[in-house]
This record gives sequence, structure tokens and C-alpha cells, in this order.
Amino acid sequence: MSSKLMSLSHAVARFTHDGMQYASGAGLPVGADPVVFGRELIRQNRRHLHAIFHATTQQLNLLCAAGAVDKIECGFSGLEGFGFANGLRRAVESGRVLLEDYSNLTMALRFLGGALNWPFVPATVNVGTDLQFHSAFHPDEPASRRKIPPVTDPFSGREYGALAPLRPDLAAIHVTLADPEGNAIMLGSEWSRFELSRATRRLVLVADALVATDCMRQFPNLVRIPGLLVEAVVYWPFSAWPQASPGIHDGDERHMRLMNEALGTPEGYARYRRDFIDSYQTLDEYLALIGPDTVEKLTATATGFLLDPYRRWLLSRAEIDELLAESDL
Amino acid sequence: MSYTRQEMMAIAAGREIRDGELAIFGVGLSLLAGFFAQAHHAPRVRAMTEGGIYGATPVGGLPWGIECNRLCTNAVSFTNALDALGFLVASGRCDVGLIGAAQVDRFGNVNTTGIWGEPLGERYRPPKVRLTGSGGANDIASGCRRVIVMLAHEKKRFAERVDYLTSPGYLDGGDARARYPFRGGGPSAIVTTLGILRPDLETREFVLAARYAFASVEEIVANTGWPLRVSEPVAVVPEPTERELAALRRVDQTGMLRRNPDG
Repeated sequence: MSSKLMSLSHAVARFTHDGMQYASGAGLPVGADPVVFGRELIRQNRRHLHAIFHATTQQLNLLCAAGAVDKIECGFSGLEGFGFANGLRRAVESGRVLLEDYSNLTMALRFLGGALNWPFVPATVNVGTDLQFHSAFHPDEPASRRKIPPVTDPFSGREYGALAPLRPDLAAIHVTLADPEGNAIMLGSEWSRFELSRATRRLVLVADALVATDCMRQFPNLVRIPGLLVEAVVYWPFSAWPQASPGIHDGDERHMRLMNEALGTPEGYARYRRDFIDSYQTLDEYLALIGPDTVEKLTATATGFLLDPYRRWLLSRAEIDELLAESDL
Repeated sequence: MSYTRQEMMAIAAGREIRDGELAIFGVGLSLLAGFFAQAHHAPRVRAMTEGGIYGATPVGGLPWGIECNRLCTNAVSFTNALDALGFLVASGRCDVGLIGAAQVDRFGNVNTTGIWGEPLGERYRPPKVRLTGSGGANDIASGCRRVIVMLAHEKKRFAERVDYLTSPGYLDGGDARARYPFRGGGPSAIVTTLGILRPDLETREFVLAARYAFASVEEIVANTGWPLRVSEPVAVVPEPTERELAALRRVDQTGMLRRNPDG
């Protein structure tokens, strides 16, 4: 199989378009999420996105502040210990963005339904609450029967909720390790990335580190995303910054706060865009923006031992640059 | 012995967790209460978070989130949401869940979605204040055998009706939960910064069962947005022991619960 390595800007140019259903594949709310993919969506002025975010928030917060999103479906929209998401809040409270609420289980079940190509998924949760009765997408329907309509179990006659499957146009999924063919290993909770990788119509991986394929052959049970599902692999260390990537780096607490505070106002967002979105062209410029001291500090994570079994297969920067030059993308 | 109201709440909630139970903890306060229980009286509690992080105890202070690196240094298994919230929680296997709330009503229904300033009613409109949404709370409240709800005891948070019903308590009360296919039994306690409320076994309305030593019944009733029924007599919750406080403060290494001395 040939290399699927591609630059970030090329992947966004090739696989995204205005108005698409864009899913982010990530860990939990302040966990591993390809935030840098969202920065690039903004750099390329993507608009009217229908965002499918299971629970991670800082990228969604940013896309909302940028005015790039019209609709959201998610299970959670906060920054946990870092508070409420200011950019998302402004967008939702003003009615500029419609947010359809589900729970963290029902988002995973909807990906499962999409992956299996089922007509609906029966649910024992969300029913009986305003998650079932209210729809931001269909606000005029009292006790909405379109969002989670009741469905009868043909065996028992009991009533359950029917969840609509999700099949996003594109998922950009954060993985810790990928080989150039797109076989991938995630460290930390996989959250819903396994189901999403099967539900999405197209899949781009954003990897913290690249390894030789021999690594995947050593740990095939841990390769939950095989390359045959993958369109492109983007190599981008610290793609989750300022959030954390278990085994690779800690979250940047200072920048989490700075970013969320900035996204609270249009002026703050404009400054943030100038300083942290439009201010780099290359990976090295991006890492310089985070700062070498911060990179070093965050890399000294107590979770670093999780990477130990894989270190002998890590590709060097020179090897990666050579592969990228060959792919010419 | 000095302790904050927040610490009393975390300890009182932690006391609800029994050794050996399969338990799921939400973010923030509920995580602290759960890991306090593990550090103090429930060393064999089988704790997980909704990301499918098993066997972990936090290091270096309260995790920023439920998959924070502070929880990823000593886990024995990482799986996924479908596993933790689905196979183990919504299925009815999990004994107990701990969740936070922005607003709760007399039947223990929880709102973490938004503030509208009044119950949302029939027609959807954007909230005045967007909160976080359900996260795993709806799934935990639906599926766990029992659920403990934790929140600050303030009148605006204890509403006759929640603005938006995110996570089910006893819905309209009585046996209303039986209309739905929930596998779990509903909230067994609302643990607040002033005391503990428990449901009446028939009406399922939450009643003041116990107050903390520093809180009076009058103060609690005045800070509740519905005419709170008071059990006779009201128990007084034992104050934290030195051992309990020491265990809690080991878990709360960064002092999240001690920031506000009056809190």
C-alpha cells in the first residue's frame, strides 16, 4: 500500500466544503481532539458547517466564534474544569447557531447506527426528558416526534426512543500513532472514534507521531482504525493543543483559559485569529507559536510511559519529511 | 476543626458510596466525592469514568476532565463511551452514579442544559444562558441503580420546575419513571452545601432528611424554591472526621474545594 501522507492545508482543501457535515473524532471534552484541523478550516474560510462533535469543545468553541458553524449536534459542550465555552455560548444564546442536544451515550449510539447502516437505534435513555421533547432544528413542533420518536419493541410491545444514525461527510480523527498507510493506534479513551471511523463517509487522520508499519504488526489488537478506511494521514504534533494527548503531552492550562477568554468577545476572537490562526504557515512555525519552553514542559507528561512500547518504531522528522516530499501533497 | 461547605458536601456525597460497588463519577465535584470515598471507606469501589477509563486514581490534583492526563497515568483499561455509558451504565449494571446539577426540582429532575428564566414550555427557543448539556448525566440518571445529585443549595437552583429537563429524576413524581424503559431506579439523594434530601417512597418528592451541623432547617427551607417538606425529626449529618478530611484533601490536592472559605 502506498503512503497516504498529506499536508494539513491540502487535506482541508481537498476533503472539506461549505455546508458539509463535519465530525471531529476526539477523546473527551478537554482531551485529544484535532483542534488544528479547525484552525485550518477557519484559515480556508469554510462556512455554514454542520458540526458533529461528540463532546470535545475547544475546537467547536473556536469554530462558533469564527462564525463557521450553522448547526451543531453534540452530547456535551463545556470545557469541564475550565468552565463554559464562551464562543459557543455567544453563538447559541444569540440564535446564530442551532444546537441539537443529545447525551454522550446517544451520540455514540448514533455513530454505531451509521456504522451499521441501521435505520434507527433503539434507546433506553434520553426518552422522557427534554432531550426527546425539544428540537432546536424543529423548534415549532411541540413534543417533537422527529428528533427521538417513540418506537415499539415488536417483542414486548414496550415503547423506546428511536435515534437517527449519523453518517457525517467527513471525520477528522485524532490518533496518537499512525503509519503512512493510515493504520492507527489511539492512547487514552477511544471515546467514540472506533464507531465514527466506520460511520463517516470519508476519514482523515491527524496523528501526533508516525511509526513504521512493523509497529502495527507488533500490536494488531490495538490498531482500532485500519488503513483501508482512511483517505489521508496528516502528521501534526500538538494538533490537540491546548488540549491534552495522553502519552504525548499534557493540556496547556494557561492557553485553555486565554483562548476561552478571547472567544468571549468578537474583538477577542479577532485578536486570537491574528495571533494563533493566521500567524503560522508551517508546522515548525506552529510549534514556535506554542513556544519551545511550553512544548518541553507539556511533553514532560506523567503519561509519557504510555508511549514507551512504541518508541523504537517512531519515524524521525527527516524520514517524515522525505515521505512528505515523495507524496508531494 | 475547620472545613468548607463544599468539603462537607463532597464528604456527605462520598459517604453514599459503598465499598465494592460499580460506580461512575462525573466531572469536578462528583469526581472528588467519588475518589474521596475510594481513598477513605471504599477502597474496593470499582470506579470508572464515562470515557471507559477503568481502575485509575487521579494524581497531581483534581483532573481537569474525565479523560485528563491526571487520570491516565495508572488506568488498567481504556475503552470507550459505548462500553462505559452503554454496556455498563444504560444496561442497568452500574450500582451508583454521582452527577452535578445547575438546577434540580422537587422530583429530582436535573437541568444542565441552559437557563431560560422559566420552564421552556412547548416551543423551543435558545436559552438565555447556555450551560454544558447532558454529557453522560442523562445516561447515568437513566441507567444507574441509584444516582446521587450534588449541587450548591441556592433558591435559584432548587426550582419548582427545572427550565429544561436534561436528566430524569422521578419526572412528574409517583411511578412516572415506569412509563419509560429506564434500567435504573432514580436518584436516592440530593446532597447539597446545606444538607441531604431524600425522596418520599410514595410521591417521590424530595424531602429534607438531614442538615449539616452548621445549617438550620429555616436556612435550608429559605434556600429552596419549592415548599420543602421536612422529615421529623431532621437528622444532623455527622461532621467530617479528621481521617475523612485528610483523605478528601489528599484527593483535592489543588484545593478546589477550599478556594472560597465561606463556600
